[in-house]
Amino acid sequence: MNKDNAMLVWVAAFLLSMVFFYALDLGVMGAQGLPLNFDLTPAQ
Amino acid sequence: MATLLKVLGFSLALTLVFTLVSNTLPQVEGEAPVEQEIELGDLTMDGFVAMGETLFSGKGTCTLCHNELGRAPDILALDMIETSRERMADARYQGEARDLESYLRESMVSPEAYVVQGFGKKGSKDTESPMPAVDKAPIQLNPIQIDAIIAFMQAKDGNTVTVALPTDAPPDETAGEISPGADAAPAIAQSPEEAIAKYGCAACHTVLETESPVGPSLVDVGERLSVSEIRESILDPGMVIAEGFPPIMPMDFGDRMTAGELEMMVRYFSGDGR
Amino acid sequence: MPRSGVEVRSRAMPFIAVMVFLSWAGLSILGPQFAASPSPLDALIPPVMADTSTQAATENLTPAPRPGPSDYPDMGVSSRSLVWVVAQMHLFFAAFVLAVPLFVLVIEWIGFRSGDNRYDDMAHEFMKISMSAYSITALFGGTLAFALFLLYPHFMGYLMRVFDSQVLVYPILFFLESIFLYLYYYSWNRLSRGNAKWLHLTLGLVLNGVGTTLLVVANAWASFMMAPTGVDESGAVTGSIWEIIRGPLWNPLNLHRFIANIAFGGAVVGAYAAYKFLSAQSAADKAHYDWMGYTSNFIAILAFLPLPFAGYWLMAEIYAYSQQMGITAMGGILAWLFVVQAVLIGTILMAGNYYLWSGMSRIEGPPRYRGFTKYIAFVLVVCFLIWVTPHTLILTSGEMAALGGSHHKFLGPLGIMPAKNIAVNLMLVFTFLSFQLYRRADKVITVSWENRGNALMSAIYIIAVINIIFAGVYYGYFTNTVYKVGSSVIQVMSTLTVIVSGIVIDTLMFKNAGTLKARWGMVSDRSQYALFALPVAFTWLMALMGYVRSNVRTHWHVYSIMKDNSPDNFIPAIGHAGNMMTMVTVMFILMVLFIFWISSLDKSRIR
Repeated sequence: MNKDNAMLVWVAAFLLSMVFFYALDLGVMGAQGLPLNFDLTPAQ
Repeated sequence: MATLLKVLGFSLALTLVFTLVSNTLPQVEGEAPVEQEIELGDLTMDGFVAMGETLFSGKGTCTLCHNELGRAPDILALDMIETSRERMADARYQGEARDLESYLRESMVSPEAYVVQGFGKKGSKDTESPMPAVDKAPIQLNPIQIDAIIAFMQAKDGNTVTVALPTDAPPDETAGEISPGADAAPAIAQSPEEAIAKYGCAACHTVLETESPVGPSLVDVGERLSVSEIRESILDPGMVIAEGFPPIMPMDFGDRMTAGELEMMVRYFSGDGR
Repeated sequence: MPRSGVEVRSRAMPFIAVMVFLSWAGLSILGPQFAASPSPLDALIPPVMADTSTQAATENLTPAPRPGPSDYPDMGVSSRSLVWVVAQMHLFFAAFVLAVPLFVLVIEWIGFRSGDNRYDDMAHEFMKISMSAYSITALFGGTLAFALFLLYPHFMGYLMRVFDSQVLVYPILFFLESIFLYLYYYSWNRLSRGNAKWLHLTLGLVLNGVGTTLLVVANAWASFMMAPTGVDESGAVTGSIWEIIRGPLWNPLNLHRFIANIAFGGAVVGAYAAYKFLSAQSAADKAHYDWMGYTSNFIAILAFLPLPFAGYWLMAEIYAYSQQMGITAMGGILAWLFVVQAVLIGTILMAGNYYLWSGMSRIEGPPRYRGFTKYIAFVLVVCFLIWVTPHTLILTSGEMAALGGSHHKFLGPLGIMPAKNIAVNLMLVFTFLSFQLYRRADKVITVSWENRGNALMSAIYIIAVINIIFAGVYYGYFTNTVYKVGSSVIQVMSTLTVIVSGIVIDTLMFKNAGTLKARWGMVSDRSQYALFALPVAFTWLMALMGYVRSNVRTHWHVYSIMKDNSPDNFIPAIGHAGNMMTMVTVMFILMVLFIFWISSLDKSRIR
């Protein structure tokens, strides 16, 4: 694999993880009755 | 054998580390709450407020939550009169207190009446209070102790104390705590009527104004029994059971009555001095 | 190839056993649905015991007894200390004998599926150790019952009145446990070939079903004492037996003890393996016990990882039931115990990690992933130090005046929960990393998507760590209490994401992987001491946490219902408590060594 491909792979991996954990944060706090704004600050 | 000793030695040494850790930390014993004797006669307002302060961090266990860590309003840091005023003026306030003292009392015995913004149970949007009622188990403060704490909360910021000093002994707690030494001896009956009420004779005997079919009527017992027979009937009911009646009269009046009370009742029933 | 009737029946047995067990479990969870009307299980109870209607009518008005201080029997020694020691010894052994069959069954199953006899032999050897422990468990149980009835008769009378015929279920279960335990162990060789193995596995499954039921039955008594349900304020029984059993703390306690038992059991058999390794003479023996030690550590650490979450759930339920009880435990007079807990869990994690790192030297060829070790060690040590930092410092009044208070300006914030949660979650993530690296150390990956898989795994680790720290710092220090508490769930889920994705990705990635040779037996003696540190720390930790559970009731036998008026109703100083824990730990170590010795007296090699 050439270098560009590797870079792409890592960026994709990080993006995927960040999206997942962002959704996790919103979902988990929301499920507890503690909603968050999209910037992860408390909505209450 | 060498292996066994090395293994054992290592295990014991590690256990010793844990033991040392627990022995070098602050050693505090937690006493179970014991009923305090409240000397009402000498109580001043300062003494009452001081009692409230002791209760606040002692039996009341208020400081567990009401501190600077944010779990409950930090009472010691807030001016409680100011704060009470603000709370009662809040649009969300649905409680029944009409003045500041009763607001404080309501907060303690009915904490579910109003939950301060931001302090409700998780997920309940400040509709449910995590605070227990202080007059129930496990805290079980009696009305005098509650008053003392209210007095403390009013006095600590220099505000006027509106709570009155207690004058009577607290009523028996509904939970019926065992309090060694705090039970006052019941007052000695001063008249036959008082004694009859105190020892519950009317439960089974027709006497004074009440009627009961369980035991023989006492209204005219002086005409049927002699003085010594009446005395014997009270002290040792099992000796002679009147015909047709069950042998269920209490046997412990001899332990419970004073000599004076006994003689007073004997004279009364035998007709002397009526 | 057509299956014979015998084979079909044999294979069906485990499924039948699973169905029976699931129904049993389902009823216990759904039981309260039937609370208003008689439970279906009542049909199984003979009519004599089921006729509780007249009992209930009179018992309806009977409150809990109120013994005064002089009503408690006095044997001349502290009743509390006596019951403490006997109860804790019983719990140690009970945890062990319940846990071993659980992982033995799994190991036996792995051996059956893979055809590798080593697994079956190891499972059999683990069971042998457990058998000797079984009678000691029963002895302590009987002694405990006597001690409780003798020294706390009013309390025990009340508990018997509340739990009524459910109490009889316990001895019945013991009969079943004994029957299945003896059947499972003694039929091992006889039922080892072909279809008979299915029957043997079924026996193991039923054994575990009975054992787990024993656990949850006994847990009901403990959880009732802490958070009573089914009774009114005075203690009179007002609810059904299901309402009494299924209090708010019952299932959290069940989950926590179930998982903790497995971790504890793994640690104890690991000590057995380490001991045998150190005293082994032949290379074959050394290899055998090294492998056994590795497996035990695997079980102990794998079961240990979800434990903080189960413990957190238990603590959260305690707070939900009574905020006062929760704060007494973690913010009040018992708070220092949790600093001691940090020391113990730090020991466990560091010993477990050290063992894994040492194990990498078994693998032939240049040591891979060795470089990671120092970074993992660094994180573990820093997190441990944060976890062990108290909120309130131990200071003299002079020091306090100089500091300007009892909290340090910088270290103070490290003493509260958000910092602890960050530390714990990071320690678990990095322990799992050690785990994952160890498992990868002897593999030569051959899948085509290796680089992509590794990139994803690395990204998950990095983002999870950032998320854990972010959630802890932001919600912990810059928002209000409810958000602070809620953010700990984010952290837990992040850690679980790492663990689950790690297991999944690795399982897929190891398909058709080449394996580097592992030289079993080629591991330092030092590493075996890590396998001793584990059970010693686990044992002391169990004693500590049991003490917290018991003490959080403060001066109540049954919290808020029946007061403790005995002479011992105070909370002892932590040093005294620590000494008691050391005493029971030492007793346990000596007894376990005795059990190991007894097991090895029977020289018949299990081969």
